[in-house]
Amino acid sequence: MIDLVPQLLFTGLGIGAIYALVALGFVLLIRAANVVNFAQGEFSMLGAYLMVVLASVLGVPYYVALPIAVAIMAGFGVLFAGATYWPLRSRGQLPVIISTIGASIFLANVVLIAYGPSPAVLPGLFDNEGFEAGGVFMESQYISIIVAAALLVLLQFLIFEKTLLGKKLQATSQDKEMASLLGIPVATMVLITFAYSSALGGLAGILVAPVLFVSVGMGALISLKAFAANIIGGFGNIPGAILGGLALGVVETFGAAFISVPYKDAIAFALLLLFLLVRPQGLFGEKIAEKA
Amino acid sequence: MTPVLPQARLWRGLPQLAVAIVVVMGLSTLAPQSGYILNIVMQAATYAIGVAGLVVVLGYCGQISLAQAAFFGLGAYGTALGTTDYGLPFVVALALGVVVATVFGAVLGLTSLRLGGHYLAMVTISFQQILTLVLNNWIGLTKGPDGVKNIPRPPGFERGDHFLGLCLVVLVIVTWYAWRLKTSRLGRAMQAVRDNEIAASTCGIDVFRTKVLAFGISALLGGLGGGLFAGAFAYISPDQFAFGESIVLLTMALLGGVQSPFGALLGTVVLVVLPEWLRDLKRYYLAVYGAAVILIMVFLPDGIWGSVAGRLRRVRAVEGEVAPLPLLSQTGVESAEVAMRITGLAKHFGGLKALDGVDLAVRRGSVHALIGPNGSGKTTFINVTTGLYKPTAGRIELAGRDVTGTAPHERTRQGLARTFQNIRVFRGMTVLDNVMVGAERPGNDIAEKPAEVVARALAALDFVGLRGDAGRMVGTLSYGHQRYVEIARALAGSPHLLLLDEPAAGLNMTEKHELGLLLRRLKGHGLTILIVDHDMNLVEQVADHITVLNFGRRIADGGPRDVLRHPDVVAAYLGEPRRDEAA
Amino acid sequence: MSMTVTRRGLALGTVAVLAAPHVARAADPIKIGCVFPSTGPAAEAGKLQLNGAKLALEDVNQKGVLGRPFELVIEDDQTTNPGAVLAFSRLASQAEIPAFIGSIRSTQVHAMAPDVLKIGKPMMFGGTDPTITKMGNKWLFRCRPNDSYSGKVIAEFGVSDLKKQKWAIVYSTDAFGTNGGKALEESLKAKGITPVLMQGYTNNASDFSAVVLAVRSSGADILGSYFTFEGDLGIFARQLRQLGVRIPWVGSPSIVNTTALNLAQAALHGTYGVADYAVDATPASKSFGDRYLAAYKALPDNQSSWTYDAVNLLGRAINDAKSLEPEKIRAALAAIKSYAGAEGEYNFDEFGDGLRGYNIVRNESGKIVFDRRIDMKA
Repeated sequence: MIDLVPQLLFTGLGIGAIYALVALGFVLLIRAANVVNFAQGEFSMLGAYLMVVLASVLGVPYYVALPIAVAIMAGFGVLFAGATYWPLRSRGQLPVIISTIGASIFLANVVLIAYGPSPAVLPGLFDNEGFEAGGVFMESQYISIIVAAALLVLLQFLIFEKTLLGKKLQATSQDKEMASLLGIPVATMVLITFAYSSALGGLAGILVAPVLFVSVGMGALISLKAFAANIIGGFGNIPGAILGGLALGVVETFGAAFISVPYKDAIAFALLLLFLLVRPQGLFGEKIAEKA
Repeated sequence: MTPVLPQARLWRGLPQLAVAIVVVMGLSTLAPQSGYILNIVMQAATYAIGVAGLVVVLGYCGQISLAQAAFFGLGAYGTALGTTDYGLPFVVALALGVVVATVFGAVLGLTSLRLGGHYLAMVTISFQQILTLVLNNWIGLTKGPDGVKNIPRPPGFERGDHFLGLCLVVLVIVTWYAWRLKTSRLGRAMQAVRDNEIAASTCGIDVFRTKVLAFGISALLGGLGGGLFAGAFAYISPDQFAFGESIVLLTMALLGGVQSPFGALLGTVVLVVLPEWLRDLKRYYLAVYGAAVILIMVFLPDGIWGSVAGRLRRVRAVEGEVAPLPLLSQTGVESAEVAMRITGLAKHFGGLKALDGVDLAVRRGSVHALIGPNGSGKTTFINVTTGLYKPTAGRIELAGRDVTGTAPHERTRQGLARTFQNIRVFRGMTVLDNVMVGAERPGNDIAEKPAEVVARALAALDFVGLRGDAGRMVGTLSYGHQRYVEIARALAGSPHLLLLDEPAAGLNMTEKHELGLLLRRLKGHGLTILIVDHDMNLVEQVADHITVLNFGRRIADGGPRDVLRHPDVVAAYLGEPRRDEAA
Repeated sequence: MSMTVTRRGLALGTVAVLAAPHVARAADPIKIGCVFPSTGPAAEAGKLQLNGAKLALEDVNQKGVLGRPFELVIEDDQTTNPGAVLAFSRLASQAEIPAFIGSIRSTQVHAMAPDVLKIGKPMMFGGTDPTITKMGNKWLFRCRPNDSYSGKVIAEFGVSDLKKQKWAIVYSTDAFGTNGGKALEESLKAKGITPVLMQGYTNNASDFSAVVLAVRSSGADILGSYFTFEGDLGIFARQLRQLGVRIPWVGSPSIVNTTALNLAQAALHGTYGVADYAVDATPASKSFGDRYLAAYKALPDNQSSWTYDAVNLLGRAINDAKSLEPEKIRAALAAIKSYAGAEGEYNFDEFGDGLRGYNIVRNESGKIVFDRRIDMKA
């Protein structure tokens, strides 16, 4: 027998882990390039469609197709940077924001033309749908998403804190001028971040696909929430993004159950507005201030 | 003869406005009473009114809004529900819708207090999404996804061509208003906020109020366009005002050129008409749309109108005599009166004590220098004094008034003006407009008189020798000249106390020499100056008093000779030899 | 003097040219204006609608209409309401078009309705919102059963055939879902049953656990649903089964469409759906299905069947009317009785509703099987 509250908590965490996973990709770009990428969700959408093409259409085995899809997404990230970020990098934040919004419309509609509006199916990592334990139905795909999110945070931590590349990336994100004075190839570092962020977004899309199906609109749906998670957690803060995502997932799932199902998204966005008004720096954020 | 800039004339453009109204009214009689062409033109006209709102908030004030379709929708729903459900006359219902939109716009503007850029994008998206949900789900009020049907038009305008005439007249007036706004005091304030919030606030602009006003005006125009849209199509439903439509409106503004209402108009017409013409490409045009946004940002950052206008723009000198700065005709010597008194001022950043209990009294009419090695707390001192930083402890008085807790623009109103070490001019504006922002300092005697603002700004430019460059974009000037623009901007506001933050930084030897001469010309007219620098030559040339800071503390204070021979000062500078080539 | 004469002659000439299309010339096709989506989310559906209409075109043109062939003029509605209004106004500006085929989306029909009334020519449409035909617009003719009938049929089947009394109703809060849910609720109330749960959700909801748990805790023994998007339906179906809800489920047409079956797989096995079109329902629907399969190598669904019927009905009405005058065509349409179409038997009532029945179909391990047809009284 299923228990209401634990079940809602599990699903909330599962949905939250999806937001967190996409939010991770956001954070990196904000930190390394000061870019708020409104096309981050489309990275996920593209990743999922690539996987559909590789695994379902071309019949490449799942575990071979996965790294190929992620690698292609990394390459795509560089291409994306070249089109939307590089030419505008010295013109401030607004033009880049607008061009990533343009990119998101462009990508979604190109895929719409190619694949049509009907959602596609992508199998998950495991054949088993899940199991019941302690009054909670544990959906296996949610478990893999939660585990993947945890592993990626760990990986990100190791890369950033324990490797030379990570140190260089960090230096770039903190002060580009200083980094280039120290001989760090800033341009390369920024491109690496775009590649990584795109690959991460693609991977998130592949993991999410068995739960939400593969559709043109899946990116927009997740990325808005991931963005909100980011702000709630503290802009550009990695643990903040994770916790913000999980919190948003849980709050909206409980909100749907106990307040209103149709207004579920409104609850999420209202929470966001509240944070922006009362605590714009988020749960873990730094103070927002400009140097005179 | 005093020169009069065209934009200073109160009735500028009114004849053209009248002609345009007559022309569009005439044209509208040629329109069919119903049908495809009428619908297209009506859609373009009502959208264009909403897009003009984006020109104000995004183009002038630099605040991104991704909720213009929501304001458009509020106006449309106010009009539709007001007329159909509550039986209000069209005009009353329209006004209701516009008021609702404006109020929500102003409230969104309130969130911009501490947030810019991506935060604002997110706030506006959230608002957009919530509104769409409410329109769909609050069926009792909005009729939900079915939408509102049979929306009437105002009496006398039931016929398609008549109503189109009404829409076009409103559009012409809105476009004229937005065009006039750009060269008005409020418009300049918005552009100053867009280009540099910090400098704007130290020029006396209430940044917060300006942003809220920009949002309010933008939402008002959005609501107005939406209300007319409801009348034009007689049927509205929530999906017409969803997020995607906000993007469409944004693209219209960007394509045409977000800096000008004419550009916005052009962009709207192009994007309404083009997809209709290019129906053969219909499978692709949303994709083309997205790609176009990127291409515009990369290759046409000023939009179609902006690029063409930019090419055609000629720098015209402003002819005519101007009276010299009033300041220069005054005489005044140093008095015992204290213009600014600082007591126990402290500013801590975490564990770092940038300022640690500094006392300072600047006498009226004197030139007071604040010196100290790098990192001694000089710039922090200026930033706390002008209100950009909140002090950890201490008290700041201007002419005997406590201003410790007040906002930067409040202090500017009290007569404080400053320049910046890292130049902060308003890059999107001309040299003259930059200085006019200064002349419009609240509290300045001529701030409210447009013609005299121009004269005063020209006088200030005359004084720094940049009169001939008045019409140029400020970014095209050399570094040294941009510094002079900052000084002119400060002087045009007739301040009582002028704070110069390392004015010699980045200047070459000749420029430094000129700067010294300029500062000496300012002496003896009763203006109080506090100058922060480590260029000893400059300080010795002009200073009556010197205060020396080190590690956030005052280590010496007094006349130049005594202070510079003070053992602590010598010691403080020993670690760092006197640098005439300060970076 | 001569000048005046010339002008007058010119003016007369112009009138003659403008009037020309109204003078029937044997070889000229009769143009039928169609508002179908070819861009936007419903672009795919637009293709299916066109397929059905083209098939009917062959039928009609075999015999001809008043000795002339039909020709379809297609305008894209971009899957939006303003798009539909613009598309319609483009068609309306072509004076030679005597009748139109409108949209399968109710909000679009609502949006176009005032213009249809203004121009005063018949429009066949497929939107199923019951209120469309109740607005006093005599030019609108519906070629599908409206939602009040789907609600009635679902209620009738669940109560009389499945013998269930405790209903949970899950519906999308968009126009289609809200009206459908309302119609089902009212049909049940007419039978003296108040649903134990009325639960709306917003499209693209991504998670339905709250909805499923609400269904479960309501104690319902039967579920009726109005889902708009197959993606939502798939997620809901999966979570419903995962959380152990096994009550019978009768859904609106989307529950049996190909995409939904593909997405939800086993989670939809054993469910029932109402369908306005089912291949095995009547001889007419069977023959349409066979011909469609032969022409397009796929089985048709309701997107194609209603446009097929619409074109055929217009052909018949114009032949009956023996005229292209809108008012006469309208009267002929309204007089059509017992016409066996692919969707069922058409008997237009005074509102312009032609059909009053639905088919009940079953999902047997992924195969859709015709169960029975339920026709209601008007």
